[in-house]
Amino acid sequence: MSLNAVSTRLPHWLIKKIYRNEASLETKEILKSLKLNTVCESARCPNMWECFSKRRATFMILGDICSRDCSFCSVKKGVPRDVDESESAGIAEAVGRMNLKHVVITSVTRDDLEDGGSSHFARTVSMLKKRYPEVLVEVLTPDFQGKVDCIKRVAESGPDIFNHNIETVKRLYEYVRPRADYYRSLDFLGFIKTNYSGIYTKSGLMVGLGETGRELESVFDDLRSAGCDILTVGQYLSPSKNNIPVAEYVHPDVFKDLENIAFAKGFLYVMSGPFVRSSYNADQVFDKIKNKDKTEV
Amino acid sequence: MVEIVVPDLGEDVEKAKISFWHYEEGDKIEKNSDIVELTTDKATFNVPAPETGIITELYFEEGDEVEVGEVIALIDDENEELELSEDEEEEDTNF
Ligand code: SF4
Repeated sequence: MSLNAVSTRLPHWLIKKIYRNEASLETKEILKSLKLNTVCESARCPNMWECFSKRRATFMILGDICSRDCSFCSVKKGVPRDVDESESAGIAEAVGRMNLKHVVITSVTRDDLEDGGSSHFARTVSMLKKRYPEVLVEVLTPDFQGKVDCIKRVAESGPDIFNHNIETVKRLYEYVRPRADYYRSLDFLGFIKTNYSGIYTKSGLMVGLGETGRELESVFDDLRSAGCDILTVGQYLSPSKNNIPVAEYVHPDVFKDLENIAFAKGFLYVMSGPFVRSSYNADQVFDKIKNKDKTEV
Repeated sequence: MVEIVVPDLGEDVEKAKISFWHYEEGDKIEKNSDIVELTTDKATFNVPAPETGIITELYFEEGDEVEVGEVIALIDDENEELELSEDEEEEDTNF
């Protein structure tokens, strides 16, 4: 083995198997034929082949160009195009063809739009709920610059889970998400929980960016104070040499510890592991919290 | 013959590096066993064999850059040796 090869190998727990089979190829084909963007492809998610093989994907609406410049993300940045309203119908069609029971919809950030893209989110959620009343809809939205009317618009369109990622600890915001605001994101989650108690709230963060365990615990505390129900924690992987580098590959045992700590702080459900992403196995999470809610009643 | 092709590894990812061959030419490989480890800027992947067979060609060395869609290895899934080893396995189970 060449030295070069040795130096580029990641720890064994970060090697992902490719599930290139009939189901995953079919999922890819459906998405392509309907010209839909997914964060799975755009963010180069390492789980792509696994999720596609389980006929799961996370739809990314409002185009494929983001108006922000977060240093951890590989989604294209620049001047976004006009909103394509037919995206909603395309997603509805894909949900039918993929036989999805749980749909996750996210978007690029659209600070260039007056409504931040919230009307398009709301239109898509309403369309799905009308066409498939039994399907669960999860939204993972940007912060809409904290505009309450935008948050309300999406919440009132009927999602079952409202996800907004806190992404990292407070100290690293400047470095990782320079145009976001830690407290704005917390207020966002708190606003939903206070005003729409029937919607589960969810947030996620990446580790391996140089944060400490104590800083992570204080994020967990802040999220719980904002009433956040579900938490996801995963390893940050740098998408390219132009993005911020990984500070640490966190061991799976540490992820397990973080999961236990977060559960003890009162989250309804926590998913923590190297390959966990906000939308990873999202459908299973919902089943678990539903059962938990029932047993607690 | 079955071709091992570098799979799509995400948007705008055109290249990957061969970071490890799990087998050598001439080895028998079982369906779904990992044949090669590929590394991109973002992640590392194991690519499984789509069929059981004998590896007849590994076209690249560890450390080489390969393109998405490129054929990097060949597996002979109709090799006589496979039938032989299957027969042997069957015999074994008779004991
Ligand atoms: S974890 Fe989420 S973003 Fe990644 S492939 Fe799965 S559904 Fe897509």
